[in-house]
Amino acid sequence: MPPRPVEKHVHPRGIFSRFKGNLEAIAIGVKYFFDPKRSTLIYPKEYIKLREGYRGFIVLVKNKCISCSSCARICPAAAMKMVKVPVTDPKTGKQRIKKFPVINYNRCIFCGYCVDVCPTEALYHVPYHDIVYESMEEAVTDLESFQKEPEYKTAKEGLPVRYIVDEVKGLVKIRVKKEGGEKK
Amino acid sequence: MTGWVEAIIKIIEWPPLWQLVVLGLIAPLAVVIYILWFERKTAARVQRRIGPYHVSPRIAGGLQLLADLIRYSFQEVIIPKTVDKAAFISAPLIALILSILPVVAIPFTDVPKWFPLPMDYSLILALALVTLSPLFIIVAGWASNNKFAIIGGMREAYLIVSYEIIAILSFLAATAMTGTYNLVDIVHAQTGWKWFIVLNPLAFFTAFVGVLLSTSGFPFEIAESEHEVVAGAFTEYSGLMYGINMGAAYLKRMIYSLLLTVVFLGGWYPLKPGEGFIWGYLAPSIVIFIKATILMMIFSFFRAVYGRYRLDQAIEIAWKILFPLTVIAFGLGLLEAYYGII
Ligand code: SF4
Ligand code: SF4
Repeated sequence: MPPRPVEKHVHPRGIFSRFKGNLEAIAIGVKYFFDPKRSTLIYPKEYIKLREGYRGFIVLVKNKCISCSSCARICPAAAMKMVKVPVTDPKTGKQRIKKFPVINYNRCIFCGYCVDVCPTEALYHVPYHDIVYESMEEAVTDLESFQKEPEYKTAKEGLPVRYIVDEVKGLVKIRVKKEGGEKK
Repeated sequence: MTGWVEAIIKIIEWPPLWQLVVLGLIAPLAVVIYILWFERKTAARVQRRIGPYHVSPRIAGGLQLLADLIRYSFQEVIIPKTVDKAAFISAPLIALILSILPVVAIPFTDVPKWFPLPMDYSLILALALVTLSPLFIIVAGWASNNKFAIIGGMREAYLIVSYEIIAILSFLAATAMTGTYNLVDIVHAQTGWKWFIVLNPLAFFTAFVGVLLSTSGFPFEIAESEHEVVAGAFTEYSGLMYGINMGAAYLKRMIYSLLLTVVFLGGWYPLKPGEGFIWGYLAPSIVIFIKATILMMIFSFFRAVYGRYRLDQAIEIAWKILFPLTVIAFGLGLLEAYYGII
């Protein structure tokens, strides 16, 4: 049975409590006007310095990879692909074909499944994600570029900041050092 | 040659022209542009944002309004096929003219040489002219032939009925106190810091809220409420025409602020108008404009704090709270006049 409409009665407030409410609202406004707690990120001039463990761009450590293809299989966006590469076997010295993953950042959703599933920890995240490619082709890595950490241009030009939740002030933006530690 | 220059200076100095063009249009426009910037910055400040910034970071985004103005001026003005063309085009223009017209009745000095009109009934005249422009907002809404515009116009009509009596009666409290309609005499009665805001704060309060109601400032921005009726009566307007509509509302608020300054905030005091054009006319009007600008800043500060009342709530506030207060304020003025405090 659908819920019946109920007539709601809101008790009308007296004049004085209304005045009080208005004055309180204005007082809060004045307080913020003289002590603004801005938390806007002025983006290219400042950037959020993310912590280690953030699921950003992905880098392959080729030596550790055992070509198991787990990463390509688990990828929900079909962004990971295996490419065949001719290698020389270090023990026997014979030529053989080995498969390595490459990633297509047009498709990747940065879910991190590939990093989690890798049995030898051959993949890892870098803690940044704001990188712009000029063309879609550029966003498809080859084996070479997949092994390098992508260049983080924002960090070169901007100042690193971080947002913390203060008990009194709420969301607060603080400056941090480029490398590691925090500074007020 | 010099004869020409003198003649031109004479024409410019001719009080009605000077008052209407310079004090009525150019100076308020400059103040309004500043106020629009201030409004956006304040709302941003209070709401923890930054507001206009990237256009000119050095002066806190001050050029943003200029950029907006240029954008409005060069946008295409679209006139839909279904509108009543003559009324559609003329309504905002008439509203703009009517909203700056009351300035001819406001004295900016007490030297009779610089009065644009005889000042004997100036308060009544100013109030009468101020109440004309909202009619053309209704016309604009009706001419647009669009449901949002018509609803917006109707809301405006409801609000006119509610605020007009409040605004007029609370301004007339000054007449009750001084026994004159002459704005110059009303200012003269406020010598020695006996400003009417101190003597009759209630009347100032009701006049203040009445002005907010009439110029659809927050929290009474009901006729143009964006979430409900797009832009109210101005829904079909675009480009420069929309700019004129919005500008007219702000200009009207500016003119109201000038009137509030003259009636309640002591006019040109603490300055005493002296001899000549500079000290007799320019300096007092600058004082009045500074006070009015501060009032405008308070008006636009409310944008940062308030949400929006519903139409019925606004009308309820107007009739159940403000109207009795206005009558009390009027009575207070009469009492003060009776006991000779003025
Ligand atoms: S992060 Fe997710 S989407 Fe991206 S490549 Fe790895 S598994 Fe695929
Ligand atoms: S899951 Fe790890 S080891 Fe397996 S192919 Fe991918 S990167 Fe190589």
